[in-house]
Amino acid sequence: MGDQLHFVQLEMMVAALGLCVLLGDLFLPMTARRALGWIAAGALGLVFLLSFRESYTGLANGEAFGGIFRLDELALFFKRFFLLAGIFVLVFAVDFAERLRGGVSEYLAFILFALSGMMFAASANDFSLLFVSIELITVTFYILVSFQRHRMQSLEAGVKYLILGAVSSAFLVYGIALVFGEAGSLKFDDLRDAHAELLESNVFLFGMLFVFAGLAFKISAFPFQVWAPDVYQGAPTPTTTFLAVGSKAAGFVLLIRLFGSVVPELTAQWTGLLIAVAALTILYGNLCALPQRNLKRLLAYSGIANAGYLLMGIVAQSGEGTAAILYYLAGYLFTLVAAFMIIHLVTREGEGEDIARIAGLSQRSPCLAFALVLCAVSLAGIPPLAGFFGKFLLVKSVAAEAFGNAGYFALLAVAVFGVVVSIYYYFGIIRAMYWPGETPDESPVAVAWPTRVALGLCVAAILYLGLLPDKPMNWANTAANIEKRSSAEAADPRR
Amino acid sequence: MEPTLGQYLMVSGALFAIGLLGVIVRRNLLIIYMSLELMLNAANVALVAMSRFNGNLDGQVMVFFIITVAAAEVAVGLALIVALYRKRQTAEVADLATMKL
Repeated sequence: MGDQLHFVQLEMMVAALGLCVLLGDLFLPMTARRALGWIAAGALGLVFLLSFRESYTGLANGEAFGGIFRLDELALFFKRFFLLAGIFVLVFAVDFAERLRGGVSEYLAFILFALSGMMFAASANDFSLLFVSIELITVTFYILVSFQRHRMQSLEAGVKYLILGAVSSAFLVYGIALVFGEAGSLKFDDLRDAHAELLESNVFLFGMLFVFAGLAFKISAFPFQVWAPDVYQGAPTPTTTFLAVGSKAAGFVLLIRLFGSVVPELTAQWTGLLIAVAALTILYGNLCALPQRNLKRLLAYSGIANAGYLLMGIVAQSGEGTAAILYYLAGYLFTLVAAFMIIHLVTREGEGEDIARIAGLSQRSPCLAFALVLCAVSLAGIPPLAGFFGKFLLVKSVAAEAFGNAGYFALLAVAVFGVVVSIYYYFGIIRAMYWPGETPDESPVAVAWPTRVALGLCVAAILYLGLLPDKPMNWANTAANIEKRSSAEAADPRR
Repeated sequence: MEPTLGQYLMVSGALFAIGLLGVIVRRNLLIIYMSLELMLNAANVALVAMSRFNGNLDGQVMVFFIITVAAAEVAVGLALIVALYRKRQTAEVADLATMKL
């Protein structure tokens, strides 16, 4: 038992940190609450460094708790990814504190609890852990989304997320029940051995379809994307960031593990379905983003489109596809954190995030305007930034498999069309900043130094991932390759 | 006469369908929430039945997880609906329309 706890040490540290934040809130004066957030962010940074320790990485490719918790390179990659996202979101949340109106420590603690859920999801190797970690994320997000109880929009977003999230959970558990009935086990390892014989069983196929629906809700893929625009717009901005980056990545790590490694033959059988979902998600997100005036809503639709691009990596069904997803997600993390932080800073006074409010930002704060330009250009997929290289890898991974399958070519055409359409609305943001009709406010935007550091790091990372892709490409390949090997190992004895 | 697995699954499928129908057609948040609980419990019935006919207790353990999670979800969800009701004096879905394109 003691040995097994070594596997979950990072998750336990994060959850304990959340409890410490709640306890610290009792003993600290009101004025010190802000410092609590920075201390928590620093502690997360320490956990991030601890994840590189020899004694922890040495556990890689091990399993704990009867095989329900698997620690491999893919899980390690995503744990570090989530920790980085958590650090940025905590710094962001401290900056956002006065708009929350009370309960800042609780807000920080819930971010940490959701983070531990995501880290568990990265290691889920069993349907029970998959379900519990997904629910830990979702239930804490109900609270995080509706945290600004004085704002009607925040409450409304919370209720919408609650109802639709609960429906998706119901589909997920019903799917798990059907799969369990056919496969006779909840363990992914057993399912990996058994699924080839179950491909004819309708009960099994329905079950996997329901599980896919539950996960597609998390990543906001078509047709489970209806919640995203309202929830992104209504939620407090740090929550929106965490939802767009962390929750989506949690959905993707489970999709990669389940459809990439556990049931590859089912994925091959469903290639047509996956192509259709990816293509429709790209089209829906990009076309609906065109008329948007609210910046958070615009980024919500762009987030839907990006979920479609990321699904291309699943469609490719290869190690390159998985590596491309990881690379794209890393670029997406830094881009979205920077974009949402700038939107928050500029719209801090007053209500709403209409695009007119960033008018003339190039004169007010040239640095912020330049950073937002980098974000928009990276999201649009223009070289030489992180977003371009990620999209390039995704397209390449699909193109490598495309011969002899018209569906793949259709998907590639849709993806390229989507990129072209997206350039229009991303450049709408840039136009609003640099060529405004009228500038309502001329005063420069004040930025606290921790936020400044976080923004600087994000911009540096966007440039680094775009200009020097060799090293991060290696990390992504290592994380993706282990996954492929583990499925090959399990497949060998059968052949 | 011992009920068969198919009969259990029919009950659970019917519960799931009734719950889904309730979520789609009813307009009151509390009723929608009740229907959601029905959907979760449909999965519980299926899991227990499958567990018994598979001779594998994993499914029954899973049911405990689902019940616990559903309780947490209800605690958060009802608090949210109450907060909304205090603000708007309504629990109808049609009134949730402050955010539109």
